[in-house]
Amino acid sequence: MAESQDLNQPDNSSSMIPASEDGANGPRLLFNPPIDIYETPDGLVLYADLPGVDSEGLDLQVQNNRLTLFGRVTSDVAESAQMLHQEYHFGDFLRSFILSDEVDHDRIQAKLTNGVLRVELPRAPRANPRRIEVSGG
Amino acid sequence: MPIFRWGQPWDPFRDLEREVDRLLQGVNLTLHGVRFSRRFPQVNLLELDDSFVLTAEIPGIDVGQLDVTMASGFLTIKGTRLPPDEAREDTFRRQERFHGPWQRKIQLPDRINEDGMRADYRAGVLRVTLPKAPSSAARQIKVNEGP
Repeated sequence: MAESQDLNQPDNSSSMIPASEDGANGPRLLFNPPIDIYETPDGLVLYADLPGVDSEGLDLQVQNNRLTLFGRVTSDVAESAQMLHQEYHFGDFLRSFILSDEVDHDRIQAKLTNGVLRVELPRAPRANPRRIEVSGG
Repeated sequence: MPIFRWGQPWDPFRDLEREVDRLLQGVNLTLHGVRFSRRFPQVNLLELDDSFVLTAEIPGIDVGQLDVTMASGFLTIKGTRLPPDEAREDTFRRQERFHGPWQRKIQLPDRINEDGMRADYRAGVLRVTLPKAPSSAARQIKVNEGP
């Protein structure tokens, strides 16, 4: 197969993965999905590319200030198929983040659309300064 | 060993930068490179008995924005992936995902029955099925002897 661009770029990773890698019992590859994080007036928004992951395969957890996203990829490629050209491999996605206390954990919301996860991390309302009464002795 | 660092010195969510690094991250970088620095989208081409199947990882595209064409033995897929509307350039804390126009042009190894082609987009993966054209009978070419 010829490619009109990057014709000379070697594909040096395809030979390292056995073809049966996607089997149910075999080891599965794990990828670090690319993310965007930007700030809004309400907090932070995180986007992650999880191609091949649907809502059933997505596991998003917040535990002990750690946000962990795991996406399981389902492949429907027939076993008889022969790979002619391979640029990406089948595998699952995993990435985790430490959240600060300024993120309101209870209001975190997530949505998965077309293989892209969007997570809203709202800022916790700033606590009003509390006056501590000092009782005279 | 953190791979990515925050740019801004002031960060109210400063603890978020302490991203948990996984053992596998280093393996990912050496084996597969940093994903965003590679071609977008990544494609695989498979051959089945009666068809070729091209799959491409293009998460976050509106189906209406996907352009798939077949001409002269080349399959071209193109589109544009836009950053979120409300995100301004100076509000990004981290930007690893690809944004912008993209195009891939792939030459197919055999003749295609163009009437039977179909494309599906699901969970951010484009899948183009290209049935092989029925192979024509081999034709003998007569070799003329020179004078």
